[in-house]
Amino acid sequence: MSNADVSSRLDQARRQYRTFQSKWYATPAILAGIFGLLLVLPLVLDLYFFGFSLGSWISVHVLVITLVWATAAQGWNVMSGYTGQFSFGHAAFFGLGAYGTILLLNTAGLNPWLGMLIGATVASLYGLLIGVLCFRYDLRGHYFALATLAFAELLRHTFNTFSQLGGASGYFKPLPRSYGAEFGFAAFQFRETLPYYYIILGFLVVVTAVSLAIKQSRLGLYLFAIREDESAAAAVGIPTFRYKLVGIGVSAFFTAWAGAFWAMYFDTIRPDTVYELLVNVEILLPAIVGGVGTVIGPIVGAFVVIPLSEVARQSVDITGFDRVIYGLLLVGIVLYSPQGAISWPRRAVELLGAYGPSKRNASATADDDE
Amino acid sequence: MGFSFDSVAALPSIGGLATESATVAFIQPSTALQLLAFAVLLGGIYGLVALGLTMIFGVMDVINFAHGAMMVVGMYTVWWTATAFGLHPILSIPLAVLGLFAIGVLVHLTTISSIMDAPQENQLIVTFGIMLILISAIEITFSTDPQSLGLGLGSVAIAGVFLPLGQLYALLISISAVVVVWLFLQRTQLGRAIRGTADDRTAAQYVGINVPRIDYLTFGIGAALAGLAGAVIPLFQQINPYLGDSYLINAFVIVVLGGLGSFPGALLGGLIVGFVHVFGQYFLPGSGYQISIFLIFILVLLLKPEGLLGGGVSE
Repeated sequence: MSNADVSSRLDQARRQYRTFQSKWYATPAILAGIFGLLLVLPLVLDLYFFGFSLGSWISVHVLVITLVWATAAQGWNVMSGYTGQFSFGHAAFFGLGAYGTILLLNTAGLNPWLGMLIGATVASLYGLLIGVLCFRYDLRGHYFALATLAFAELLRHTFNTFSQLGGASGYFKPLPRSYGAEFGFAAFQFRETLPYYYIILGFLVVVTAVSLAIKQSRLGLYLFAIREDESAAAAVGIPTFRYKLVGIGVSAFFTAWAGAFWAMYFDTIRPDTVYELLVNVEILLPAIVGGVGTVIGPIVGAFVVIPLSEVARQSVDITGFDRVIYGLLLVGIVLYSPQGAISWPRRAVELLGAYGPSKRNASATADDDE
Repeated sequence: MGFSFDSVAALPSIGGLATESATVAFIQPSTALQLLAFAVLLGGIYGLVALGLTMIFGVMDVINFAHGAMMVVGMYTVWWTATAFGLHPILSIPLAVLGLFAIGVLVHLTTISSIMDAPQENQLIVTFGIMLILISAIEITFSTDPQSLGLGLGSVAIAGVFLPLGQLYALLISISAVVVVWLFLQRTQLGRAIRGTADDRTAAQYVGINVPRIDYLTFGIGAALAGLAGAVIPLFQQINPYLGDSYLINAFVIVVLGGLGSFPGALLGGLIVGFVHVFGQYFLPGSGYQISIFLIFILVLLLKPEGLLGGGVSE
C-alpha cells in the first residue's frame, strides 16, 4: 500500500469517526456559546436580578482563578485525557512556566510575554524528558502517575534548595517600571483585575482552539487510539512512542502558560505555591469533574469546582472546611459521575425520559459533546 | 493551601553534629556510626510506613493516597488519648490501630469497593479526596498547631552512639509489627488467601477465595498499619496535621523502590531512604537529601520498574 493510499484511508476513517461521535460543528458551537458568555460575565456580575446579583457570590478574582485552572486543565487534558497517560505531576510544568517568566523578568529584565514563551518551551522540554524516560521503559498506570509526581516533587525541592532559583522564599514580581514603561498590556501588569480576566480568557480560547484542532485532526485520532488500546494502536502501525511524546510536549507547553499567568497575576511565587502536591490535583480536577478527554469538560469542570470551593471558603468560617468540600466533591464525582459534568444534561434528560411524562423523545437527545 | 513536606523534623542532634565537623573534610568514624544509627532508626519507621502501602498496592493494585492522612489520624489518636485522658502512649497505640482498621474497612466499603474495576486513576483521586477530608477534619478538630506529648524519654549511649529512646521504642514496635504481619500472612489461612489474591485475583476467585472480603480486610490491615506507623511517631517527634505528607511521599518511593507488594522490599527500601535522608541531611544543603531520594526513585523506576526485590507480584 502506498503512502498516499494509507493517508486517504486514514482520512476516511477520521471522517467516519467524527461523524460517529457527533456533528462536526456541535462542539465548536457550544464552545462559542460558552466563550460568548464568559466575555460578558464580569460585566453582569453587579447587575441585580430580582434583588440578587452574581457579584455577591463570586468576584472577578474568583473568575480569574477559575479560568487559570480551566486553562491548566485543558493542557492536562491534551495528554492525560486524549492519550490516557495519567499524569499526577503537571505542577512541574505549571511551576516551570511561572518560574521561567518571573526568573527571566527578575534577573534579565526580559518582558514577561517573551519569558512566558521561554518558560513554556522549557516546560515542554522537561515534559519531553519525562516522556522519553518513562515511555521508553513503558511505564504505565500507577507507575507513570508516581513517576510524574516524583518529577514534580523533584522540581519543588530543587527550587527550594538553590538560592539561585529563588530558594524557599521565591520571587516577588517587580513593578512594571523596573523592566518596562508602565502598567499595561506590554508589561503584562494592570492595576485592576478585569484586564487580567480578559488575558486569561484569551489564553483559554487559544488553548481550547488548539485542543479542539488536535482532537479533530488525525493526530487526535492516533492519541485516542493509544488511549483505547495501546498495543492495538502499535500493531496497526501508529508510532505510539512518538505520539505520546507529542501529547506530553503540547500539554506541558499550555499548562506552563497557565503557570506564567499565575506568576504575573499574584505578587509572589514560591516553590510551595506552584509546585505543591495540591497544584497537581487542582490542574487535573476540572478535567475529571467536567469530563476527561472532552474539549468542553475542563472549562465546565472548572466552573463547577472553583466557585463552589470559594463560596465554601467565604461562607463558612472554619479553616479547612473548603477542603472537606473539595474532598467530598472528588470522591462523589468519581463514584457517581465518572463521565463528568458534561454528561449531566443528558442524564437529566434520560431521567426525565424514564420517569417523566413523555417517554418517547428521550433517546433522540443523546447527541451531546463527544 | 498550606501543605508542606519539609516538616519531618530532623533528628534533633544532627544539627549539632553538623556544625561540629563542618570543617573536617572526612567523616569521623564516631560520627559515621552515629549517623548510621540514626539512619537505621529512621529507616525502620519508613519501612513500617511503607508496609501498609505496599500491602494494599500489592493485593488490590490501589495507590492509597490517604495513607499519610491515616498516619496523622493515628498520631492524633495517641496524642489526644494521652493528653485528654492521661492514657499511657504505649497503651493508646493499640487503640489507634483498631480505630484505623475500622476506618479502613469503612472507607473501602463506602468508596473503593465500587470502583475496583474502574480505571486506576479513579482510585487515586478518591483516596486523595479521602486524604483531604481526613486532614481537614484533624485540622478543624485539633487546629494546625504542632502538638507534643512531651515524654522526654531521653536516650541511651552504646559505644559512644546515642540512641534516643523514643525512636528506639518506635523501631522495636515497628519490627514486632512486621514480624506479626509476616507470620499472619505466612501461617494463617486468611494470610494465604491474601497472598493468593495478590498473586492472581481471578485465579483466587476460581479456587473459592472471597476476593471482595479479602479486599476490605487488606484495606483495613493497610490502614491499621498506617495507624500504627502514625501512633509511634509522637514518641519522638512533634506532630502536626501535615506531617503525614512527607512520610507518604517517601513511602511511595520506598514501595516502588522495594518492589510493589514485597515486604522485604519495603524494609530494604525503608532502610535505603533512611540512609539517604540522614546522610543527605548531613552532607547536602537544604532539602538536597529529598532531591537525592527522588533521583534514586526515578533511576530505579527507569532501570528496574518492578523494584529491587520485586517480581513476586506483577502488574
